[in-house]
Amino acid sequence: MKELKPRDRVLRTLRREPVDRVPLFYRMKHEAKDKLARVYGIEDSATGRAHNPELELRLGNDIVLYQVGINADFSHRHIEIGETWYNHFGVGYGKSGLQGRNEEEQAEFAKTQEYWGPAKVVPENFPSFHPITCEEDLKNYEWPDPNDSAILDPIDDLVAKYQDDYFIMVDMSSTLIEAAYAHIVGTQNFFLMMFDRPDLIAAVLDGLTEYYTEIGKNIIKKGVDMVRVGDDVGAQQAMMISPEQWRELAKPRFKYMFDSWRKENPDIYIKLHSCGDYSPIIPDEIELGVDLSGLMQPTGGNKDQVGLKKKYGNDIAFVGGFDVQNLLPRGQVEDIRKGVLEVMQNLAVGGGYIFSPSHYILADVPVQNIYAMLEAQRDFGTYGRYPLD
Amino acid sequence: MSDPVRVTPEGWEGRAPDGWEWVTLWDAVETGDHIYADERVQQAIDADIDPRNILDDGLFPGFNLQAERFSAQIIFIPEMLITARAMKAGLALIRPLLAAMAVKPAGTFVMGTVLGDMHDIGQSIVTIMLENAGFNVINLGTDVHPDKFIETAIEEKADLVGFSALLSTTVYYQKVTIEEFQKAGHRDKVHILIGGAPTTPAWVEECGADGWGKDAVEAVNLALKLVKEPREAWA
Repeated sequence: MKELKPRDRVLRTLRREPVDRVPLFYRMKHEAKDKLARVYGIEDSATGRAHNPELELRLGNDIVLYQVGINADFSHRHIEIGETWYNHFGVGYGKSGLQGRNEEEQAEFAKTQEYWGPAKVVPENFPSFHPITCEEDLKNYEWPDPNDSAILDPIDDLVAKYQDDYFIMVDMSSTLIEAAYAHIVGTQNFFLMMFDRPDLIAAVLDGLTEYYTEIGKNIIKKGVDMVRVGDDVGAQQAMMISPEQWRELAKPRFKYMFDSWRKENPDIYIKLHSCGDYSPIIPDEIELGVDLSGLMQPTGGNKDQVGLKKKYGNDIAFVGGFDVQNLLPRGQVEDIRKGVLEVMQNLAVGGGYIFSPSHYILADVPVQNIYAMLEAQRDFGTYGRYPLD
Repeated sequence: MSDPVRVTPEGWEGRAPDGWEWVTLWDAVETGDHIYADERVQQAIDADIDPRNILDDGLFPGFNLQAERFSAQIIFIPEMLITARAMKAGLALIRPLLAAMAVKPAGTFVMGTVLGDMHDIGQSIVTIMLENAGFNVINLGTDVHPDKFIETAIEEKADLVGFSALLSTTVYYQKVTIEEFQKAGHRDKVHILIGGAPTTPAWVEECGADGWGKDAVEAVNLALKLVKEPREAWA
């Protein structure tokens, strides 16, 4: 088959039509991206909302991504020790990894950021202030403006610059349940309030639904190809909340959201992502008309890729599935090649699959492993050749 | 999997006053009614029921049932958390009485999430399960420096320590913390358990820990087993 444009490759994959090779999509956190960008002399290696896709495209990504959600900024920006940084939802974020660390250890840590191999100690930006924890907070809370041009305008530039060749995806994660527990309310609070204050939880979820429905409509009007909803409800071995609770709290709200978006553009593609094991709700995703499901964490409870593909592969496309918990950061290059081969055998046969690591490439991944993964993706992800012959 | 059945403690009637009923507390712990659990345990104390029997006959049946359901993925984190909260309400009233009776804890367990990592849902569930199994648990929270683990283990003469980590970038600090115990000369005085999403039995070997649990129930069973195994004594 003659070489397709990246955009057509993705579109055809979503429609389960034949393609030349498995499309590629991956995302990096800034520590990993900085290292690789230096190899290519790319100076602007920004991630998050300021994301510059040049490096990813050079390395073969078929998709250009732009992030607008509640977590578009916090994990990608520099937060000082002791600083609390507030995003547009009024959620505060601090930095971990520094409690009691002395100067010597701090210097040791600084070195890891220059090192080409895996970084050993990586502080994390983390929600440290949750704006709604009681009725009073809710009453006084102001949801952000879904018409904010600072967030929306850059999409015009991306569409103008890239859409002829590339598939444009706008990421709205975290969108609903995760946005509520991890950011707005706090995790333990959220789970307890599901029983103690269901009205407050419902109000927070309604607020999020309204905001994302509206901003989603604005995004779709700009002509993007796909909106990505990211909502972590999976833990390592099982779902965090029960499938029934998800069907009660999330599903109707997603239905409202997706229906509203489809009124703007009936052909808009929708991706739904959850970390961890969310396999019990894949049939619900199909019912909601989700086009792409992932990133398919392949460890823990969600490891039966062959079974999932067989059961749902005709009704939904998959993305992801390559292990970032152990294999990518810790494997030898031979292991990486073998891992990519397995994922292709499990998920890419028959199409409807986009290759991706099962999450961000983090600072702990050695550069050679990123290259090994990308090379293996080419070698084993071409249709008409082993293993996709 | 079929739904587990609540096990009624054999002969509980003989350990309670005439006409006493535990079923309301069993239900309360099962459904996470912490207000009632607190009231009922206080009534039991006022009725002079032995605190050990309040624990075994009154609190555990509902809790054990939910723990089994959690392990079997019949219930999930929210239900487990409210049951844990109800159990905790009852335990808070009983614990001082047990201490006064010189009932020894199953062991002392120092728990925390390693340096750099802020995730604590998993380890808080393991903590409450360990407490319910009779351990004295000192939970140091998240983002815990190795020195803090060591300092606390010395102070508390810990039997076990547990390091939690959610991220592949922070799981490395489980290994570092174990190495720090080694350097400080305290490695063999404690059993070390690790847990968290990226951890595996292979990582237990590599980082030099003593054990790993796939979930909270496995972790507690492992702790109960390890605490009986010999190790170097604290000075």
